[in-house]
Amino acid sequence: MNRLRGLLMRFGGLFGKKLRDQELVAELESHLQMHIEDNLHAGMTPEQARRQALLKLGGLDQTKENVRDRRGFPSLESLLRDVRFSLRALRENPGFTTVAVFTLALGIGANSTIFSWINSTILNPIPGVKHASDYAVLSTRAERDQTTISYRDYVDLRDRNHTFSNIVAADPTPLSIKTKDKPERAWGLWVSANYFEALGVRPIVGRGFLPSEDTQPGGAPVAVISYEFWQTHFGGDRAIGQTIEINRHAFEIVGVAPQGFVGTQTGLSYDLWIPVKMIGALYEEALNPLEKRDENWFVCTGRLKPGVTVVQAQADLNVLMRQIVVQFPDDHRGDFSVAVSPLWRAPFGANFQLHGVLFLLLAIAGVVLLLACANVANLLLVRSIGRAREMAIRVSLGATRWHLVRQSLIESLILSVCGGVVAMVFTLWTAGTLKSFLPPVGQVPLAITTGVDRTVFLATFIVSVLSGIIFGTLPALRASKQQPEGVLREATNRTVGSLRKARLSSALAAAQLALSLLLLVCAGLFIRSVRMAGQFNPGFNPHHVLVDEYDLAGLGYNDNNSRVEFHRRLFDKLHETSGIESATLSDWVPLSFQVQTQFIQPEGYVPQPHESLVMRFADIGPDFFRTLEMPLVAGREFAASDTFDSRLVAVVNAAFADRYWPRADAVGKQVRTKWRSFTVIGVAKNSDYDNLGEKPEPFVYFPLFQQYVHSATIFVRATVDPLAAAASAQDAVHSLDADLPLFNLSTLDSRMTLQSGIQRIAGAFVGGFGIVALLLAGIGIYGVLAYTTRQRTQEIGVRMAFGAQPQSVLRLVLSQGLKLAIIGLAIGLVVSLVLTRALSTVLFGVSPADPLTFVVVIAVLFAAVLLACWLPAWRAMRVDPMVALRYE
Amino acid sequence: MSGDKPDVWQGTLALMVLKTLEVLGPMHGYGIARRIEQTSGDLLSVNYGTLYPALLKLEQEGYISSEWGVSDNNRKAKFYKLTRAGRKQVEKETREWEQTTAIIARFLTPGEES
Repeated sequence: MNRLRGLLMRFGGLFGKKLRDQELVAELESHLQMHIEDNLHAGMTPEQARRQALLKLGGLDQTKENVRDRRGFPSLESLLRDVRFSLRALRENPGFTTVAVFTLALGIGANSTIFSWINSTILNPIPGVKHASDYAVLSTRAERDQTTISYRDYVDLRDRNHTFSNIVAADPTPLSIKTKDKPERAWGLWVSANYFEALGVRPIVGRGFLPSEDTQPGGAPVAVISYEFWQTHFGGDRAIGQTIEINRHAFEIVGVAPQGFVGTQTGLSYDLWIPVKMIGALYEEALNPLEKRDENWFVCTGRLKPGVTVVQAQADLNVLMRQIVVQFPDDHRGDFSVAVSPLWRAPFGANFQLHGVLFLLLAIAGVVLLLACANVANLLLVRSIGRAREMAIRVSLGATRWHLVRQSLIESLILSVCGGVVAMVFTLWTAGTLKSFLPPVGQVPLAITTGVDRTVFLATFIVSVLSGIIFGTLPALRASKQQPEGVLREATNRTVGSLRKARLSSALAAAQLALSLLLLVCAGLFIRSVRMAGQFNPGFNPHHVLVDEYDLAGLGYNDNNSRVEFHRRLFDKLHETSGIESATLSDWVPLSFQVQTQFIQPEGYVPQPHESLVMRFADIGPDFFRTLEMPLVAGREFAASDTFDSRLVAVVNAAFADRYWPRADAVGKQVRTKWRSFTVIGVAKNSDYDNLGEKPEPFVYFPLFQQYVHSATIFVRATVDPLAAAASAQDAVHSLDADLPLFNLSTLDSRMTLQSGIQRIAGAFVGGFGIVALLLAGIGIYGVLAYTTRQRTQEIGVRMAFGAQPQSVLRLVLSQGLKLAIIGLAIGLVVSLVLTRALSTVLFGVSPADPLTFVVVIAVLFAAVLLACWLPAWRAMRVDPMVALRYE
Repeated sequence: MSGDKPDVWQGTLALMVLKTLEVLGPMHGYGIARRIEQTSGDLLSVNYGTLYPALLKLEQEGYISSEWGVSDNNRKAKFYKLTRAGRKQVEKETREWEQTTAIIARFLTPGEES
């Protein structure tokens, strides 16, 4: 207790120094006077009295110093002195300081950028909801498919489990809404009424949903809108109690979600929330997803009870799900099970794609930082050689080794913290760049919340300090090892110490070369992946195709016939339009992460026990295969004459035909959905449906004109610029319905960029740093060679005086550089071959040991090394022997 | 010269200062030093280079407090006095010291051991 008090007062002692010093002087003065008086009383002469008193007191200054030491923290004071000294030293050498700080800023900034991305996706998967680790996402698994959960199953899991305090269900849906006049497209979530309460999200205005709103189908036409929606549609004004028209039904707004809260899936952002029991009211179709156990619609997110782990929850739900499957076997075909995943690798939302690649990028950023550290360590080494004299003099004057190490480390820490500050500023901007890799429009409402918060600041600070210690230690120890007599006698004995230093520098330069080889190879592999993805043939021709969407839901096309009629008329209209090579309609866009599945029974096929016959399908218009240039293997594609009045028909893909009718002609067979039976009239070649280069899976196409589909995408193939056809497509739509909004206008190419998004992020990021690494390594090698060559000026002069040819001098210097390069590149090659294997899951179409990439990267690095060697070698070649010899 | 007299041993000075203040009441640094020297029968010499840091330490730990006052012969001086914590500390340290000396004494007079 009293120790602590002493400590606090000593801290206080760091301040108000002058006043305390004056007080001490006064106290000691009075002490001295009293002593003199006593001595006088004892009969001494005034002179003697004074002399004796001063002797007794001991050195006045020493006493003062002792008291001062006790008063504050002498070590802290000298630390501050060291900091001031370091700052002065760094200021005196602005070139070195700038280069070092920016090199470090790059290395640290690479890490803080990636960390900010991780922080805003993996660490904070649901913006606006704290304690992400308390939540887990449920999904069902039937054979290969990982999918969402049916409402009835959800209710059972929610009410009968022992490990979750609550589970919410949400289903994303596109909606046609109308607030004042114009209809528009919005994204909504059907949610269970416990949604806001269970997530701990409190609407900033109004309320969330009430338990009673979860009971009666169609009984609660209420909605909660997002903050953003509130701002754009109501100007942040009174919204509660207002009516919003959703798919032509009036809903009352009862709440506004807090700013930043946009839904429960990372990377997806929604405009409004509606109670799940309103689904029936908005979908006229016969399906009722709330009653059927095989309509897997819902993304379920649960809050774990305190202390419960994901593994325990998984075990709990496994038991429950088995009971449900036994009870309803027909609704749970396939090897049906439930999976519990933590949010950071949730199967729905961006984290599923991001979690692997972000950690990979963080590792790569770590390599960039190491490289930056090696570079700055080398700069410091070279600098310490220049300061050898200063160090030697300080040692001679009594500085201990610890003093020198400390001084040197403080300098390094100042550099790295400055680098960290620059990196932080840089990160404020780069944190948002993750968004720029998302395609501007898509089938899903993509939006990643990015930003920099306290966690990112703290992590950046820690990384800065750590890197300061990493790159500072070696030069500090090296610098403190100075033998003063050796250094001060340097003129006669200059090469011994410096050669050893050059060896350390050489090792660092070789390490830089090895690290930059690794980075450049990674960059090369990612860039090749993006190119391969761009050139990859997905089984159709995605170039020169315009896509544009519309949705008839809630716009007066209430009966199914009027919808089909609209599609038909639009199709005809598009075909009359000039300048269009070919056009079609479809309710599905390939390779855009849009998945629709249903149960389909192939004629005569008996499924294995537990085999699921739920498969992917699309409803397409006539000319779909022609427009996408997707070849048919057999039969014909849909024609405008395939309508409700004619026979129901379907086209299957080759994988479907091969799996279910391996020994028969597919054309002429029947496929049955839940309600109807279709005759197969054609077999399409396998193409990629969800992912580039995927394994072909069964896929079925139905005619759009024989389905009740309310929303469709227009595909237009153009000869030149597909976007130039946008106006014609719009005119065609608006000539039929002037009020119908079109949305998500883009090209099929750009829709597909999301496919290679991961590679593009990685390629851009690693490529940028690969170029920096190349520069740093080149500078590193140049620095070492320039230094050692300068050290050998005298030797070279002597050689030349004895008749050495300039060429042999050139060879001398070049061979030193090349030896370094070969060692560095060899190490880098081995390391890269081992480490790039970790990339194999994120690469596309190239092997991690892609020879072309390796050869090009090594050639580029070698060229850079030659360039870096050439300058010092050229300088050495032109050494004038007379000048060199006189130099000493 | 006082060079032949032993300096006060480290660690015991604090107790001597506290005890002096307990006996004399508020006192300035010079008075404390003189008192310690006198009490020791002039066998000890108080080095002022250690006295003032010791006083500061005791003050920081809260055992004594100081204020400026006027000495007997009308000189301005800084007076130190025991605080309540200081009084307790004197008792505690005295007890500990007596215990230590008793133990040492037993070692030094081995004859009495039985």
